[in-house]
Amino acid sequence: MSANIVTVLRKFYDEYTTKTPRKLKIIDAYLAYIMFTGIIQFVYCALVGTFPFNSFLSGFISCVGSFILGVCLRLQVNPANKSGFHGVSNERAFADFIFASIILHLVVMNFIG
Amino acid sequence: MNVGIFFAVATLLASCLALSPTDTLSLDDQARLKQLFEQAIPFQSVGHAHYAILGLSTLGATIPKAQDACSYLKSNIDTSDIQSIYHAASAAKALGNCKIALGAGQETLTASLSESAEVADLFFAVSTQSALGLPIKSAEVVKALDTGLKRDDSILGTSYALHIASQLSKETNVDKYFELIEDIVAQADTIDDKYLQFDNLQQASVFVTGAYTLATKVNKKPLITDEQAVQLANYILTRKATQTIRNAYLVVAALKSFSGNTFQVPVAFSLSGSMAISKEEPFVKVGVSDVMSKSLGKLTVKASSVVGREDDKTLASNQAFAATKDETIYQLDLMKSKPSPGFYIIQLAAAAAGGKPAPHLIGLTDGEVTVKVTTQVSISNVEISVVDREQSITAKTVKATFPTKSKSTLDADVHQNVVIKFTLADKSGAVLQAHQTFIRVFNVKSNQEVTFTADSDSSDAYKFTLDIAESGKDFFNQQSGKYTVDLIVGDAIIQNPFIWNVIDINLKFPDVGQTDEDDKPSQYSKKPNLEHMFRVPEKRPPVAVSTAFTGLVLVPLAMLVILWIKLGANIKNFSFSLSALGFHGGLGAIFGLLYCYWAYLTMFATLRYLAAIGIFTFLCGNRLLRSIAETKN
Repeated sequence: MSANIVTVLRKFYDEYTTKTPRKLKIIDAYLAYIMFTGIIQFVYCALVGTFPFNSFLSGFISCVGSFILGVCLRLQVNPANKSGFHGVSNERAFADFIFASIILHLVVMNFIG
Repeated sequence: MNVGIFFAVATLLASCLALSPTDTLSLDDQARLKQLFEQAIPFQSVGHAHYAILGLSTLGATIPKAQDACSYLKSNIDTSDIQSIYHAASAAKALGNCKIALGAGQETLTASLSESAEVADLFFAVSTQSALGLPIKSAEVVKALDTGLKRDDSILGTSYALHIASQLSKETNVDKYFELIEDIVAQADTIDDKYLQFDNLQQASVFVTGAYTLATKVNKKPLITDEQAVQLANYILTRKATQTIRNAYLVVAALKSFSGNTFQVPVAFSLSGSMAISKEEPFVKVGVSDVMSKSLGKLTVKASSVVGREDDKTLASNQAFAATKDETIYQLDLMKSKPSPGFYIIQLAAAAAGGKPAPHLIGLTDGEVTVKVTTQVSISNVEISVVDREQSITAKTVKATFPTKSKSTLDADVHQNVVIKFTLADKSGAVLQAHQTFIRVFNVKSNQEVTFTADSDSSDAYKFTLDIAESGKDFFNQQSGKYTVDLIVGDAIIQNPFIWNVIDINLKFPDVGQTDEDDKPSQYSKKPNLEHMFRVPEKRPPVAVSTAFTGLVLVPLAMLVILWIKLGANIKNFSFSLSALGFHGGLGAIFGLLYCYWAYLTMFATLRYLAAIGIFTFLCGNRLLRSIAETKN
């Protein structure tokens, strides 16, 4: 049973390292970074308390928003999804990501207090 | 049938009761009015002078400085005004030895005697003529008067007609004016069956004087009923407290008419002196006079009945009053009838002495006065006892005698009652109930007192029970200590009301400490200041914890960098073109700006900077990404 899972995971890892383009791996690393940052903030909030609540919220929302934007970028950049985003170049997707991130962080900064 | 007779009798009785004046113009009143008239000097106008001079002469007083008054009239007469001429002429006549020269006033006088003249002016003119001793052309006056009356049939106008008619020559037939009396009096209103009232005092006075003057002239009783005459007199007497010269004269003139005529003289019965009758002052003194307090000659006065006011019991009847030195005062020794203390209503009747008929005196049998028989009160059988509340066992009894204070002191606590018993008696020894009997309990230390009423029981003895427990709560505020007890007895019929300090009592209440009321601050005292309080910040975690987590948050960033290096991010491809540098520099600047916004900038400033940097970054980015896309293709 456990050997099965190990086999599956190994196969999954191998597939990921070999088949996934490097661009996507970079985005995945960014997503992982965002996710861990959010988790650590949540743990802090659970252990210590929500005060100051708006600061926590803005930090956490920044993570969630960035994560979503990152996922969106990954979706658009992924060659497998080429058919779904016809006419959207990688560069265009990146520019959109940058623009949306700037707007998101303007709001976050406003809310951080 | 019987009912009808009853009502007839009742109506007769009711009308009889109102048939005697309730007041007179006493000698004091006359003196006051006389002073009022005298104070009118120096005169303010000819009218004032006229009223003051006539008022004084009506009261039988001499006019001070008559010659000064005469010269005042002469110099102040307004010969163009018939009223002024009338005032001056009448006043001059009353002064005597004062000749008023009409001069230019003659024309005014003649004009006022014409048919176009008002009744009042006609009256002034005719009165002027008779005052100055000028001949009165009666026939012409009658003609002018009839025309005037057609225009003016007011009360005052017709009353003036009475005066005019009374000054006409003997041969003139004035019967039609005499009959006016009945019409005028019918226009007055009756108030409470006691007053007959015109619209104002002037109307009433001019009417009364005119009616009796004319009646005297024709020597016939005026067509005023006796009842109306009394009610009119009552009304005029209500105005005797007046402060104006004119009204004072009107009152005096009208009352003089009631007093001086030979047809209807209302007889007033009034109590003279104190209304209190006692062993020492046994006489009921009654003044019987006309409304000017003038004697009516020798009369026999009797009390037709003496009735107790409370119990309606007849004490005596047909008691003759004895005459005194003062012709208007009669007295009766009421104590001979042995009255018990209380109020009595005495019905009075008078008759001319010697049984002579006196038809002109009205209200002779309708006098009524109220007197009170007073007595010395004595108090006996005074007992103060302390009784157990539950079992009615008497713990201690003290007897006390008026007026000494008991030497012993009683002690009482909340399980006991204090009972005070006493009996009141009048001088003859009969048991008496006083109108006011109070027990006052007085705290010697705090000077607080509580007063209770003592009530008599069925046997007319007084018994007062002080429930210590109840009254301690309700009245004494649970203040233990020495109290002194006073007994207060008073009544209108008691000559010697007293306050007697009876005894001292030590009252003992349970200690309840301070009552709630004492603890409560007064609602007017200063309240604590209100201060605004900001929200207290929540407790922050220790610095070590937050620093640790700050570090922890940075760990994924390090991880990201490591991962990116491991993955071999394509940094070598970085072209150091202007657009690439501008794009990355612009992004860095935007992040720097966001930090500044967080730290100190306002939203508006931030947006302004952001627009500038954003446009630059956008242009650079656009160019860079386009070039990358082109190279890729």
